[in-house]
Amino acid sequence: MKLNNFMLGMLMMGFFVATLFFWRFWKRTRDRFFALFALAFGILCVNQVPLLMLGEASEYRGWLYVIRLTAFLVILVAIVDKNRH
Amino acid sequence: MATLVYLLCSLTSMACAYLLLRGYRRSGVALLLWSGLCFMGLGLNNVLFLIDVRYPEIPLLTWRKVPAVIGVSLLLYGLVGDSK
Repeated sequence: MKLNNFMLGMLMMGFFVATLFFWRFWKRTRDRFFALFALAFGILCVNQVPLLMLGEASEYRGWLYVIRLTAFLVILVAIVDKNRH
Repeated sequence: MATLVYLLCSLTSMACAYLLLRGYRRSGVALLLWSGLCFMGLGLNNVLFLIDVRYPEIPLLTWRKVPAVIGVSLLLYGLVGDSK
């Protein structure tokens, strides 16, 4: 359980740092691609909070994975949008 | 319904990985490689979650997070390297 929470914390921090990097890239370039990546990783970061707060059983709740699915869809939109322009 | 969401997560994360790695192969932009590897890790995490749900007797709760941690670590390595 402790190792599980530790890894959730690592993931949350990793997603948070990635969000910051992509946000910085967006500020520098004003490229929508980076803004969408920053948004997606921000969603993934926030998604870890209920997993940490609600405990092990929450990991099997579908609604939490809808939030994660949203992040992946944002990434897909970013890639398709970039390829079109 | 929940299984459908988990399956969609797996498919979309694998699709993200494929598109990013394809973009890297075409353009050679390193950030696409690291992002692609990250989403491969997240995709594998989602697939292991599906296995965990299907076969709860196999203890995967913690171990299924390992590919995600590796993927995110690779992404951060690439982001730090690119920012220099």
